[in-house]
Amino acid sequence: MTKRDYKKDFTIDMLSAVEKPARYTGGEFGSVVKERAEVRIALAFPDVYEVGMSYLGFKILYHILNRMEGVAAERTYAPWVDMEKLMRERGVVLTTLETKQALAECDLVGFTLQYELSYTNILNMLDLGGVTVLAQDRKEDEPFVIVGGPCVFNPEPLADFFDLAVIGEGEETLPELVTVYKKWKAAGRQGGRTGFLQAAAQVSGIYVPSFYDVTYQDDGTVQAVTPNQKVAQPVIYKRAVKDLATVDYPTDPIVPFMSIVHDRIMLEVFRGCSRGCRFCNAGMVYRPVRERKPEQLRQMARQLVDNTGYDEISLFSLSTADYSCLDPLLDGMLKEDFKDERVSVSLPSLRIDSFCIDVAQKVNSVRKSGLTFAPEAGSQRMRDVINKGVTEENLMDAVSAAFANGWKKVKLYFMIGLPYETDADVLAIATLAKKVLYKYKEVTGKGGAMVTVSVANFVPKPYTAFQWAAQDSLAEIKRKDLLLKEAFSRVRGINYQYHESKVSVLEGVFARGDRRLGAALYKAWQQGERFDGWDDCFNFDLWQQVFTDCGLDPHFYADRVRGEEEVFPWEHVSPGVAKAFLANEYRKAKLAQLTHDCRHGACTGCNVCQQLGVTVVDYTGQVPVPAPAAAAPVNLQVVQTAGTPDTTSVAPVTEEVRPQ
Amino acid sequence: MKLRLQITKDRSIRFISHLEYARTLMRAVLRAKLPVAYSEGFNPHMKLSLASALGVGVVSQAEFVEMELKEPVPPAEAALKLRRALPAGIRVVTADAVDDHAPALMSVAGGATYQVVVPAANPDKISQAIGAFNEAGSLPFIKKAPKTKAGVKEIDVKFYIPHLEAELQDGKLTLRFDCRITPAGSMKAVDLVNALNKQYELELPVELADIERLDLYRVDDLGRHEPMLAGAQ
Repeated sequence: MTKRDYKKDFTIDMLSAVEKPARYTGGEFGSVVKERAEVRIALAFPDVYEVGMSYLGFKILYHILNRMEGVAAERTYAPWVDMEKLMRERGVVLTTLETKQALAECDLVGFTLQYELSYTNILNMLDLGGVTVLAQDRKEDEPFVIVGGPCVFNPEPLADFFDLAVIGEGEETLPELVTVYKKWKAAGRQGGRTGFLQAAAQVSGIYVPSFYDVTYQDDGTVQAVTPNQKVAQPVIYKRAVKDLATVDYPTDPIVPFMSIVHDRIMLEVFRGCSRGCRFCNAGMVYRPVRERKPEQLRQMARQLVDNTGYDEISLFSLSTADYSCLDPLLDGMLKEDFKDERVSVSLPSLRIDSFCIDVAQKVNSVRKSGLTFAPEAGSQRMRDVINKGVTEENLMDAVSAAFANGWKKVKLYFMIGLPYETDADVLAIATLAKKVLYKYKEVTGKGGAMVTVSVANFVPKPYTAFQWAAQDSLAEIKRKDLLLKEAFSRVRGINYQYHESKVSVLEGVFARGDRRLGAALYKAWQQGERFDGWDDCFNFDLWQQVFTDCGLDPHFYADRVRGEEEVFPWEHVSPGVAKAFLANEYRKAKLAQLTHDCRHGACTGCNVCQQLGVTVVDYTGQVPVPAPAAAAPVNLQVVQTAGTPDTTSVAPVTEEVRPQ
Repeated sequence: MKLRLQITKDRSIRFISHLEYARTLMRAVLRAKLPVAYSEGFNPHMKLSLASALGVGVVSQAEFVEMELKEPVPPAEAALKLRRALPAGIRVVTADAVDDHAPALMSVAGGATYQVVVPAANPDKISQAIGAFNEAGSLPFIKKAPKTKAGVKEIDVKFYIPHLEAELQDGKLTLRFDCRITPAGSMKAVDLVNALNKQYELELPVELADIERLDLYRVDDLGRHEPMLAGAQ
């Protein structure tokens, strides 16, 4: 630990001057304060408090780590720009909320990689916390910087800054890693920093970037990633929990004072999704599907309500309507466990194709806020290209049911810039949205519906079928945006929302970037970039200048079609999904052929289960399903998740093509 | 019955807002499983109210919360349950029960006692100013009033705060005073510092003022201070 006199106090005038001072003062109900600990680990979320506090992964790890003897897990978040300015002016260090340790005083500092645009915040937080930003310059007594989370499946742009990465689910890996750390520390830090990294690299799922050398071809693509240490495996496969029932789940999470993004109980009903949307990174990296049993979930819900005082439970997963025991779970919770309490249950998202009035009837609601659906693409062909599969009929049935039951507002999520997209496909978004608008009149006999059309730019991600595809250029994105603007002009009742294209370009660069981008990240941060995901902070011109200065071409990363033989910078870190499977999915996309969900059908050959020694856990048919409820007025609450909600699913698939 | 409690807002959580403080209490009531009543209607809310809003950043030994219970619970038992359910920065000082028809706590507060500590660079000038303040018949001050048309309102500081007790030590000025609360309103403790700065050309750093509410009390017909809760010592 670094022994230094850090200035840590946020003085009265500092806290009075900033927005939302409760972000910085801690002391929440349920927070765990351990004054003494052998190992202190900071769980660092590279965004503001109210975003970070909503992240389920850290709730789980906070709980699991704090249950270990001698281990203190504490939280830290990125200070907003107003507070950062004051901290820098006065030399105040970034600390954890619990025992106010400077990050430099912690043993381990673990960042979660939720989105690419938070990377500059990681550098900034390390610097504010007194930790040397570049891993290779870190001194013996400095903490080890760890990364994990969904973007860890291409951690390479950050390779200069972290010491090791936890690949996949951390519930089992982190305690193992902490145990290794304890031993190393107890043995007098044997072998120094490298000694610990060598020991850590022997824990399954731990990746140490400095143990690999990357060589490049003349055309700039990766030639090979080669281990330079005996202990380094050629490929680090992710860790996945076999059975969620065997791992601890936090039933006493922290209850914040201030409002956070997801200010409710998050009950994780299952992990993974195998619907196989070809654009979706989460669907690939969280495989396979593993459900919890309804009895266990009901017990957890009971404890969570008792321990937190929250009156809303969100049934959380990538696609909760797919939960095999949703009916018995909802019945048990609403008709038995909480029938005399003011506890409501919400689903973070709903599917179009089975917008079940059945489920809708069971879910309580106070307000009839808008419903959100995600057809993702406007034309059927395009929806087949991305393996979304839902039909226009599904959407019309869903909105008809919603309109008939009193909803007026519908929000539709789409993407533009998908592979094989034509202008006709883009314009089909407008046609579909108008059909939804007109449906209201047809169903209710009157006007007044409000359809919000939210269009995001597609960004190809690693470990998806589209990892070979080019992202649309800025000019092309803008042109397509104009096409839609034109198509929606003079249409009353449709609110067209479009996402900033420049931000998507940066996201695209870092999503499929390599180690060489570290130089740009460092330079951009030095020049003041942080909070790139926030419109008021993002400076595209600065980024372009930085790329030029570093001799890097953003187009090489974002809008270049990759060859079939290309070695990707991220292949030595793997969620277990076979490249051949993804390649075949990419070929099928071109032919607009569907691939079914393996959850209830035959294996589709992604190889994750075989590689990791895990299996799909689905309780279909194993829990009695009650008779369908009689039709009654619908009372439904839909709560949106942050980011892009995936609110639809694939329609029943008729055709099945087995990949080779 | 109505349950009334004196609770605190300790230094560690002084920067949570009034709304956040109230929400925290409601969640604690649910965790404590007190049989709290809800309003009727489409969007029922918990029948819980705080006696007076505290500025963000102000520490308090004397916050008063009142909640209606569907069935009686002995105050001592309710207090015990709540203590276990509250975060570390909120302590229960006393508890009392009144019947449902008792006038709302909000309407009975007649005054508050404050302590303000602020760095003081010029002790002689400050002593003189305090003396002058205590002698003055009135002290007009223009305070911010966001809800009014003009956005400001002129008040007489002396009407609210007739007397200051001051102590100057180690470069710090400690002020203790009572501040009147009327049905028409009151004034903020921080505005006393602003008013002193303006009237006597002091340069007390308002942004560093460490403000604490020490007490909230009722005022009887003879102007005597009475505790807010009958059961309180």
